[in-house]
Amino acid sequence: MSGAERGPVLVWVDVVGTEPTRGALQAIDAARRLAAAAGTHVHGVAAGEDAQVAARYLPTVHRIDALPDGHDARVRAWHASLDGTGATMFVVAGTRTALAVAPRVAVRAGGAYLEEAVTLTVEDGQVVAERLTQLQRVTERLVAEATSAVVTVKVGAFAEAEPAEELGSVEVLDVVADERDRRVTVRPHEGGSGAAVALEEADVVVAGGRGLGSAEAFDTLVIPLAERLGGAVGATRAVVDAEWRPYGEQIGQTGKTVAPTVYLALGISGAVQHMSGMNRSRWIVAINADADAPIFQQCDVGVINDVHAVVPELMKALEER
Amino acid sequence: MIDFSLGPTQKEMQGLARRFARDRIAPVAAQHDRDASYPTDVIDEAARLGLLNLRVPEAQGGLGLGVLDEAIVGEELAFGCMGIYTVLMASDLGVTPLVLHGSENQRDRFLTPLVGGGARLAAFALSEPDAGSDPAAIRTRARREEGGWRLNGRKMWISNGALADFTVVFATSDPERGAAASVALVVPADADGLSWREVHGKLGQRAAPTFEMILDDVHVPEDHLLGEVGDGIRIALSTLDQTRVPVAAGSVGVARRALHEASRYATERKAFGKPIAQHQAIAFKLADMEIRLQTARWQTWHAAWLADAGEPCGHHAAIAKAYASDAAFESASEAVNVLGGYGYVDAYPVAKLLRDVKLNQIYEGTNEIQRLVIARRVIREAEA
Amino acid sequence: MKIVTVIRRVPDAEARVRVEGDDVVLTGAAWVLDGMDEYGVEEALRLRESGIDAEIVALAVGPDATEEALRTALAMGADRARLLTTDAAPDPLTTARMLAAAIQEEEADLVLVGGKQADWDSAALGPALAETLGWPVADWTTSLAVDGDTLQCVHDADVGNEALAMPLPAVVTTQQGLNDPRYPTLPNIMKAKRKELRAEPAPDASASVRTVSRTVEQRERRRTLIEGDPREGAHAIVSLLREAGA
Repeated sequence: MSGAERGPVLVWVDVVGTEPTRGALQAIDAARRLAAAAGTHVHGVAAGEDAQVAARYLPTVHRIDALPDGHDARVRAWHASLDGTGATMFVVAGTRTALAVAPRVAVRAGGAYLEEAVTLTVEDGQVVAERLTQLQRVTERLVAEATSAVVTVKVGAFAEAEPAEELGSVEVLDVVADERDRRVTVRPHEGGSGAAVALEEADVVVAGGRGLGSAEAFDTLVIPLAERLGGAVGATRAVVDAEWRPYGEQIGQTGKTVAPTVYLALGISGAVQHMSGMNRSRWIVAINADADAPIFQQCDVGVINDVHAVVPELMKALEER
Repeated sequence: MIDFSLGPTQKEMQGLARRFARDRIAPVAAQHDRDASYPTDVIDEAARLGLLNLRVPEAQGGLGLGVLDEAIVGEELAFGCMGIYTVLMASDLGVTPLVLHGSENQRDRFLTPLVGGGARLAAFALSEPDAGSDPAAIRTRARREEGGWRLNGRKMWISNGALADFTVVFATSDPERGAAASVALVVPADADGLSWREVHGKLGQRAAPTFEMILDDVHVPEDHLLGEVGDGIRIALSTLDQTRVPVAAGSVGVARRALHEASRYATERKAFGKPIAQHQAIAFKLADMEIRLQTARWQTWHAAWLADAGEPCGHHAAIAKAYASDAAFESASEAVNVLGGYGYVDAYPVAKLLRDVKLNQIYEGTNEIQRLVIARRVIREAEA
Repeated sequence: MKIVTVIRRVPDAEARVRVEGDDVVLTGAAWVLDGMDEYGVEEALRLRESGIDAEIVALAVGPDATEEALRTALAMGADRARLLTTDAAPDPLTTARMLAAAIQEEEADLVLVGGKQADWDSAALGPALAETLGWPVADWTTSLAVDGDTLQCVHDADVGNEALAMPLPAVVTTQQGLNDPRYPTLPNIMKAKRKELRAEPAPDASASVRTVSRTVEQRERRRTLIEGDPREGAHAIVSLLREAGA
């Protein structure tokens, strides 16, 4: 298919405050690459006021007003944006919500779904993406063999897009509401993750494992270090199972996936399930007294020593900076 | 022709036992060994999962599993800890005389409660302070009296003993007549005159409680007699013919654990610029461990298959028991060498393997006795 | 009530991964019922044990060997199992299409499926299945209750939790913490032998994505290791932080 036949690449833009989220910026970067390879343009899609923010990055933005809560409404909105713009490619950051909504959009559109893409391009008129499988250890190259493709983009795999030189234009996209979108009622519920810095957006993550020895060690070592570095606190499954930390901090196969600039692993052995949640971090630092811990095979700097001895020294050295 | 593969149900059982060993036994094994403490939680959960008293027949509410099933499960549990497995193995040792020689009524009365709920154990008492390898020389005396038997004497090295609901005790009704006057009697835990003294200071298998049994004018009713007067030793030996197989399976589990620990260590530890597994001296040790492991397992399963087929299995069970325990001991010893200094301290699991599996060469018929059994048949065939 | 638990057979996390040509080769792989799907089987069992009269059917798409994983589900307590056989290793959306017909045939009220699949590293199966069926879906569910015709649950959102309510029939995908899956007991493993496990060819469904190649991730890390004085370790970390601009 030619660029014209494919229509624009659509990218969903989530906004926090007055800026797109880091995920959204990465999705915009991915969408721009895809559009360049397909010989077409990128259009933004955003909810209400978010469209103005998105217009700082994209020449055309489709605004969807009065978007109800819940996934069903979102499926309808994203599908409507494909229909309403003649687009055949939809890109969005792989947040928890997007990972649940995007495959449904693909099914509804009769298209292909490319999940958590780490690279994105067009070859021979078809969308091609690479993604990771087998607990993030194998890279698969996939070709979308349908007319349309919905893509979720893996956290941290793309660069954050810079604003455009000119402010783009915003047009309203009408989405016809449907009874079925109200079949699920949504209410906030207490007991959320309560993370001070959202884990997936953090530049620095300081994570603790069973090797710390106690829940108290999080208070004395992990949290102060995270605060000093302006980072987020993470935990392994073992620590969450032991009820030292809440589930919202868990990183790994059944927890969150993060790709910060620096990941500091304190008292973490480096089991495959944990590594799969953080091994795309730009730099990995490990501190563990066990020289045989597998994490030492997969770190950039590894300190084979007692965490309780090293972290105080680290805090001191950081003060001196 | 023979099919060497496990059926789907056997694979499921193996999977369950493996997970249980990994998740529940292995994490607490070192602690119980250090403290010589009984693993109550592990045994309770084993009972809940149906891993205890596997031989209790279906008619009594049990699973009625065979010897091969027991061997498959036993290897997995012993991989986690041989000491903890001995608790389960010894309970089936107490169950087996009733399975093989008890009346239906006796099976109902004694075996049904074992699978009724909670962790209920059985025990088997043949050895005495002065009689181990020579069962015909047992001196525990059973005298006929009104309504039953009066027992006096001592038994030694009884696994589970004080924790068991009942113990099958082998005694003589007439020391002059030896085996021809021997009896097998089911002694319940609450029998008057029965007491136990725990044995302390064991080299290994310290999670498995071991006792001296003191019978001081213990009365048991007539219907607690298995078979007839004169059957006692025969019942004991035919039981041991079969129960040798789970012991062998336990040894296979230890041999496998030794190879597992040694090979993982050898692929990570470096010397002279490469992992020590790349040095032939170490590689050959690993190969020999593998040779011993495979041979031990197949002979164990062969003996199990014979038992389940109703064929005489004593000879092959003796081979399995002797070979597997010697093999496991050798492998555990080599594993210590592979780990070097780390193999010698209890922060690493291999030293315990060596201490634990030494007992497999001794209990349930010493390896010397096994060799007598094996030699007897070889010689008999040569003389024929 | 009819509950269908969708399960998959995946390699155990201990397996070592290698790629030969374009195929993934797993050494030392034990194949197991996907842990995330186990939460689904367990939740179905708990719903029944809470007093709801339910028939629980374990359903899978995969090669013949998938029977082993279905047997595990039966041994946990599912009543029946069905296997839609195919050697094609279909992607999530195609798998969803294959499952939908069987689910409609069963007239299921509730479908439980793992929130993430361990070999695909994908969270798409549950949502795609719901969309194919036209049913509402609750993903990453950490607690659920059935009240007549309504499903009430709590699930993980991007930040924090949400409480959802929706009419049955519905699809629920599981999350860690939903429950503690039971071991199949030996008696149940034996009983499972007698439970029905029906295999039939999976319906035809054409895939919309095609894998053209696979490579093992090679991410070379520096592996600078420091032992000895904790201060040296601290300084090495500070150097890296400086280099990283953190």
